[in-house]
Amino acid sequence: MALTRRAALLGSATAALAPALTYTAGWAAAPAVGKQAPGFYRYKVGDVEVTVITDGVIRMKLPDTFVSNVKVDDVKAALADAHMSTDIFNNTYTPVVLNTGGKLVLIDTGVGEGGFNASKGTAGQFLNNLAAAGLKPDMIDTVVISHYHGDHMNGLVRADGSITFPNAEILVPAKEHAFWMDDGEMSRAAAGRMQELFKNNRRVFAGDVMKRLRTYEWDKEVVPGLLAVGTPGHSAGHTSHVLSSGSAKVYIQADVTHVPYLFARHPGWHAFYDQIPDMAEATRRKVYDMLAAEKMMVQGFHYPFPALAYVEKTSTGYRESLVPWNAAI
Amino acid sequence: MTQLTRREWLSGSAATAAALAFGLVPSSLRAFAPAAGKQAPGFYRAKLGDYELTQISDGARTFPMPDGFVVNLPKDQALAAAEGAYMPKGQVTIPFNPMVVNTGSKLIVIDTGNGLGAFEATKGAAGQMNANMKAAGIDPNAVDIVLISHFHGDHIGGLKTADGKPVFPNAEIKVPAAEWAFWSDDANQAKANGFNKAQFAGVKKMLDGLGDKITKFEADKEVAPGITSIATPGHTPGHVSFVIASGNARVLVQSDVTNIPSLFLTHPDWQVVFDNDPALAVTTRHKFYDMAATEKAAVIGYHFSFPAVGHVEKDGNGYRLVPAAWNPSI
Repeated sequence: MALTRRAALLGSATAALAPALTYTAGWAAAPAVGKQAPGFYRYKVGDVEVTVITDGVIRMKLPDTFVSNVKVDDVKAALADAHMSTDIFNNTYTPVVLNTGGKLVLIDTGVGEGGFNASKGTAGQFLNNLAAAGLKPDMIDTVVISHYHGDHMNGLVRADGSITFPNAEILVPAKEHAFWMDDGEMSRAAAGRMQELFKNNRRVFAGDVMKRLRTYEWDKEVVPGLLAVGTPGHSAGHTSHVLSSGSAKVYIQADVTHVPYLFARHPGWHAFYDQIPDMAEATRRKVYDMLAAEKMMVQGFHYPFPALAYVEKTSTGYRESLVPWNAAI
Repeated sequence: MTQLTRREWLSGSAATAAALAFGLVPSSLRAFAPAAGKQAPGFYRAKLGDYELTQISDGARTFPMPDGFVVNLPKDQALAAAEGAYMPKGQVTIPFNPMVVNTGSKLIVIDTGNGLGAFEATKGAAGQMNANMKAAGIDPNAVDIVLISHFHGDHIGGLKTADGKPVFPNAEIKVPAAEWAFWSDDANQAKANGFNKAQFAGVKKMLDGLGDKITKFEADKEVAPGITSIATPGHTPGHVSFVIASGNARVLVQSDVTNIPSLFLTHPDWQVVFDNDPALAVTTRHKFYDMAATEKAAVIGYHFSFPAVGHVEKDGNGYRLVPAAWNPSI
C-alpha cells in the first residue's frame, strides 16, 4: 500500500507508540456495569448480627390519593423537599435477617419471586441479595411476619406457589392472621384494594405455608430477644418487633410509617396503605415519641436502604437521621 | 423411615421424625449459622447522564476526639456535637470515599484513599479502596486518569502499594498545580500548622518516582472529559473540587470543603484541625455551599457517610445534608 510521506510519518509515529499501548488494559474503554452493588448491610445489636437485605424498588406514578387527607400538591412539595421525584414514587422494601445464637430469623419477605418477574427485577431482589450475603433460603430457621400486605409476605411462596423457605417455621401475629382468615371480615371488605388483599392472603396462606405456620401474641417474645409489639392501624394486627441483646436495642417498625420523608416528617398524613388511618396515626405518634425520647434506632421497612435511623422530634413532626454506613463491623 | 424405639418416640424424637418425614428439618438439627462478621462490599453505582459513577468506600477511622479537633471551639462543645450526631461517646468517626467515573471512553479515579499501607496499619478499618474497587469489578490497570483534589495522605495514600509500586500503572495522575507548588517548597513546611507540617514527608514519599506520570492542572479548567476543577482553597492552598457533567446532569464533588457534615456543614464556621488556612476554608465553605444550596445541586463529599451522595439545604446559620436515598435498581 502506497503511503504519502505525511501519512507515513503520522502512521509510523502511531505505530511506534502502539506496542506500549496495547499492553495496557486502560486503553480499551471499560463498559459501564449498569447494575447496583449487592444490597445488603450488616450491623450488630449486642450479640446479634443483623443483615439488612434490600428487596428493591417499585416505581409508580404518584397517585393523587397517595395521602388521603392532604392535597397531592402538598405531597409533591414534600417530595421536592426530600430531593425526590415529584411524579414517580419510589417504594422500597427492606427485610432483615437476624443471626441470633446461630439461628437465622427473617423478618418479612419482600414482594417475592412473583414480584421480581412482574417488576422485571427492580423489586423482588431479596433472594439475589440474600445469596450475595452468603445465605440460602434453606438456611432460614424462622420467618416472622409483621402483617399481611403483599410486600411483607408474598415472598413466602415462589412464583409457582411452592414454599420459598423449606426449613423455616412461619410465625405470624395472631390478631393479623385472625382478621384475614375471618370470612365475615372478607365478606365486608371494600371493593378494590381490601378485596384484593383478602384474595392474595387466602392464596399465600394455604398449603405448605399453613403447615409451617404458628401464631404469636403481642407483648411476648417471638424468638429469644425479639419482642412483638402491637402497633395496629396500618392493618388490624400490624406488629413491630424490638430486638434486644445486652443493653443494645433496635425497633423494627415494619410500617408504623411508610417512607420517612413523608410520614415521619408529617405524622398526621394518612398513607393510602393505612387500613385504619386514625389508629395508624395515633400509633405512629406514640412510637415516634418513644423512639425520639429513648434515642432508639429504628429499622424501617420503607426507609431508604440500609433503612436504619435515629429519630428526632421537630416542631411539625419527626426527622429521621440515617445511621452512617459502618465500613468495618 | 427408620424404626424408632419407644424411648425415642417418648423423648420427643417423634416430632423430629415427623418433621423429617414432611421435609421440615427442625432448626436444632441444622447447621449452626456462623455470624459473617464482615460488612458488605462498599461500593455504590449511580448514573449521571451517560456517565456511570461508582462510589468506593475506603473505610473510616474512629478515634478519641483529640484536643483542638475543632480549633475555634471548646472541646466539650465539640464532644457534645459529636454525641448529638450519634457518634460513640468521646469519639469521632471520619469516613473516606474516593470515586470512579466511567465516561464511556475513560475510566477516571478521583482521589485514592489512605492506601494499602494504612489498610495494614488500621487492621482493615481504612485503606479499603483496593478491595472495594475489586468487589466492584474495577481493575486498577484499566484506570486512565487519576485526579487528585489535594495532597493529604487520605487522598493520595492510595497512589502506591505498601512497598512503593504504582497502584494505577497505566494512569495519568493529574494534580492541582497550586497544590504541587505548595508541597514542593520546603519553606512552607515551617509555616504550616502541626497537622500539615507532618504531611510533608508523606507527600514526598507518595509522589517520589511518579514524576513521569504526573501532570499539573490549573483550577477552573476541564481536567478530564466532562470534569472541571474548581479552586476551593483554604483546606490546603491548592485544594480543588470538581464538577462532573454529562448531558443535563451534573454533580459537585466537594473533596474537603467540609470535613464530616454533622459537625462542619451544620456549623460551617467551625474550623477543623486539618484546615491549613482556617479562615479561608470558612469563606470557601460558605461560598461553595451557598451555591450548592441555591442550585439544589447533588453533592458528593469525601468525608460524608458512604455512599456519600446528597443534597444540601440552608438550615439556620449552617447547612443540612440530605443524603440521597439508596437506589436499588439503576
